[in-house]
Order: sequence, then structure tokens, then C-alpha cells
Amino acid sequence: MEQKKTKKHSLQIDLEKCVGCVLCMKACPIQAIRVRNGKAVIDDDRCVDCGECYRVCPHDAVRSQTTSFHDLKRFKYTVALPSPVLYTQFGREVSPNQILLALKKIGFDYVVDVAWICEKVNAAYRLYIEDHPTPMPMISTVCPAVVRLVAFLYPELADHIIPIDVPREVLARELRSKISRKKNVSEEEIGVIHITSCAAKIVSINNPIGLSKSALDGAIAINDIYGKILDVLDEVEDDEILQQSSGVGIGWAASGGEVRGIELHNCLAVSGVKDVIQILDELEAGKLKDIKYLEALVCPDGCIGGTQVVENRHVAKHRAESLVKMYGERSRVSLKVIKRQYREGYYTLPEGITCKPLPPLDIDPVKALQKRQRIEEIIPLLGGKECGACGAPNCKTLARDIVLGEAEMEDCVFIKLHTAEHK
Amino acid sequence: MPGKALFQKTFTIKKDDFANAGEASVQIKNILKDVGFDSSVIRRVAVASYEAEMNVVMYGGGGNVRLAVNPDNVMLVVEDKGPGIPDVDQAMQEGFSTATDEMREMGFGAGMGLPNIKRNSDDLKIITSPDSGTRLEICIRSSVSGTEEN
Repeated sequence: MEQKKTKKHSLQIDLEKCVGCVLCMKACPIQAIRVRNGKAVIDDDRCVDCGECYRVCPHDAVRSQTTSFHDLKRFKYTVALPSPVLYTQFGREVSPNQILLALKKIGFDYVVDVAWICEKVNAAYRLYIEDHPTPMPMISTVCPAVVRLVAFLYPELADHIIPIDVPREVLARELRSKISRKKNVSEEEIGVIHITSCAAKIVSINNPIGLSKSALDGAIAINDIYGKILDVLDEVEDDEILQQSSGVGIGWAASGGEVRGIELHNCLAVSGVKDVIQILDELEAGKLKDIKYLEALVCPDGCIGGTQVVENRHVAKHRAESLVKMYGERSRVSLKVIKRQYREGYYTLPEGITCKPLPPLDIDPVKALQKRQRIEEIIPLLGGKECGACGAPNCKTLARDIVLGEAEMEDCVFIKLHTAEHK
Repeated sequence: MPGKALFQKTFTIKKDDFANAGEASVQIKNILKDVGFDSSVIRRVAVASYEAEMNVVMYGGGGNVRLAVNPDNVMLVVEDKGPGIPDVDQAMQEGFSTATDEMREMGFGAGMGLPNIKRNSDDLKIITSPDSGTRLEICIRSSVSGTEEN
């Protein structure tokens, strides 16, 4: 069915593999998972696709819905837009250009150095911040999980998001029509594919925020395509130059990359979902108002810490740093061209950020307050061990589920035991 | 305090507990989100409660924040057993601070605490004396998003 193809989230539970343990539920930073009838269930309206559940599952039961290499067969002409993270996944002796050429070798008709566009978008952020001195700090749309965190849980901060689209979308929009004209293929026959380090990018393609439809046709996970690239690396002849980026764009692979490229004083880079949440809380409390730009990425150490990578993130970070040094910290993009494109709306997020705040406990505020009070009353009655055996990640969340009618007091094993003993 | 509020909760704030400082205001904010308050109200309460909580941690020697919520208003009563504020008018001026070097090193002490609370509240009452500490009564009036739709 159509519904099955366009799932709201990239992360799905494989019911056959799920043993109903508490690990993913406990790892979820926003309490979007419950264990019901012995299987983990993800709340689609709450999940921000941060990937924490994927990381902890020992049974491989959390699946990431990426595009498979075979899916490319349905296109007449294929375009690869690899994340700069890909450059950090191979050894020292492998250059970004060789990796781009390898992508061509394994079958892509056209390969673009996305890191180069990252530099342009980075400059566009600076132009936007110079045009909009408040509110501070500004946050980019780079991390889809951060955009979703703000849209669902921190709608008050929506005006901090820079309404500039991500490099892959900006690029895909332009390329499709250009290639269609040049190569004489219809736009539908062109497959523009992102090569991604994380599952959240898939969601940003299947269910975008800020644009009605993604310009991309899918995303292949780095760990899925890694072996294919490795197989052909030896055969690649360095006879064509595809890499245009400097260290600035390549540096986007790791935390601190956007801050390096923005060239403004007082910018802050934060990575890791718990730290990002903490910083968003601080922003809501009116703190960090002296920071101009906040680079927020939910994966530890940035995109190199994504769920779909091969290389250890510390090794990848080291590799990214070497590449930044090797290709220089001065971008060669033309600021004049970027300024014109920026004014013409070339980088603009087509529809801006629309928030979908989570619903209150009740539409009636009086009832909502009563329910909230009831939660406070129930919490001390529960076991207090935060065991998760009830199917909720902690006692507080169970209390909430009880008040909402989604769970019962007896779901708490301690209450159940107590009742059994007194029968 | 106005008559009985539909929701009440007391948060204990420990002296010099910088590690957990700000926890109460995060909880308060999440309670208001659960109830469906307008985002501008949530933001005002978040800022006011955070500043008040920090004052108790840094200057008040510990104390508590009592939250009382009704659909049309949020009350915060913040009490500490500290040395009191010798000159309230001076403390209300932006940039005035008695923060120690240590606090400043942690990024506090910009002299925006009380002015920020004042700016974000509809009513602010300050009762302070060297003997009994400081009591802030902060009232932020609001409408809940749900009621506006009718």
C-alpha cells in the first residue's frame, strides 16, 4: 500500500526481532517509545528521528528505512549528492576526489561535491544573520532532528531557525531542471540521491518540514554503499576533478564545521542529543543571548557520529581535521555570487518552519490542569525504581500515561506485587 | 496567593547547587506546555522562573519556588532565607550586580536577574528584609491556546 512506502519516520521497529526489552525506550531522550504487548512502539507524532534507539538496540530490531542501491534502477539518469562525512570514512591515502570518482564508477551518472555547496550555504547563513540581528542565537536547518525538536517540543524557538534550506535540497532543485535540459531526460527520470550518515535525513526527504516536497528521490546510507566504493577505489583513475570544496565545506562533517565556515564572532557548536536538548532549554530560559550562531547537531561530534557510518567517530573526526588542514580553511566561493543568489531566494527554505507542538493533556485548560495535578499525585504511589517494566520509560511517564488512559496503575509491577500480596 | 489554584507544586532549591540550577524552571515550563499555554506565556514564565531560581541558588542560600497555575494566570512565589536585598531600587537597575568573581566566571552576574523578572511578569511584588530573606510574588497572566479557539 502507498501508506507503507511513505512512512512518517525512517526508524521502524522490526516486530519479529524486537524482544520487548527496555533499552530503546530508556534511550529515547523525549520519551517517544513504549513497550506494549511485548514489543516496542514508537509514537509517530513525537519521534524526531534522532537515532538513539537505533544505537542501543542489541537485536537489530530498529530499522532505518534508507534507499537501497537497487532502487536506482528505476531511474534513467542518477545523481549522487554525498554528505561530506563520506570523505572521512576511508584511509588517509584516499582523497575526496577519488571517492567522488568511485561513486561514478559504481554507476552514478553525475556526482556533485556537496561540501562545496555547504560552503555557499554557510556564507548565506552569515548574510541572513547580518540581515536579522535578533533573535539570538540563530540555528541552522542542517540537522533534521534539531528542526523537529524545535517544531514539536520547542515551538517558542521557531524564530531562531534560519529559513535557509540544506545544501542537498538547494543543489537537487537546481540540478534536476539543468540535467533534464542538458541530457534530454524528463525530470521524473532523474534520480537525485543523497548519500547519508544518518536516518534523520531520510525523514527530511520523505516528510520534509519547510517545503512541500523534497527535491531528492532518496538517500543511501554510507554503511550500505561503503563496500561498493571500497571495491572500485583501486580502479579509479584520478583523471577528472570533481572536488571543488576547501576544508571549510569538508569540515561540515564534524561538529564545529558550520561555526568554522560562518566567520562570525561568538558562535557555539553543540552536539549530542542530550546536550542539544539542554541548550534548547537554556535558550527558552532566555540564556545565551550573546551567541550569534548556534550549530546544533544531535549526533555525538556531529554528522560523523551518525547512525549510518562505518568509521569510528573519533577516527573520522581526526580524518576530517586532517582534510580541513590539507584543503585549507579559506573558502573559494564567490561572495558576490552568493549575495546575488541569496537576494534572489536561491537558498530560501520554500515554506519556512511550521511548528507542530505536541497536544496538551486536554483541550479544556481546566481539565488539563486537573490532569497535570493528578500526575503529580500518582507519581509517589508508583514503585519509584524507574525500571520500565510497566512499558513506560520512567515512573513519571507512566503516571502521565495513566492519566491519559493509556496505562493502568496495575501496570506498575510494584503495585501489582503489593496487590497480590494483600489478596 | 490567590485562592486555591487548579495546579500547585513546590520546588526546593538548594544553596550553591549550580549542577542542578535551572532544573525547576525546566519542569515548570514543561508543566505549562502540558496544559497548552500560549508559547509567549511559556517563554515569559521560563525566563522569570529561571532568573528567580538562580537568585535563590546564588544569593538566597536556598529556598523554594511555589508554582500555582490557573487557566488565566501563573503565579510563582519564590522564597529564600538569604540576607535580603538592601536596596531594591538599585537591584532593579539593569547591570547592577553583587555577584562574586566565581559567579561571573560561570557567566552569571550580568545584573539582569530582577529586571528580567520584572520585564516578563505582569505583577511583581518583592518583600525583603535582612531577617527573613526575600519573597518574590510573580504573576504572569495568560490565555490558554485552547480557550482562544472558541
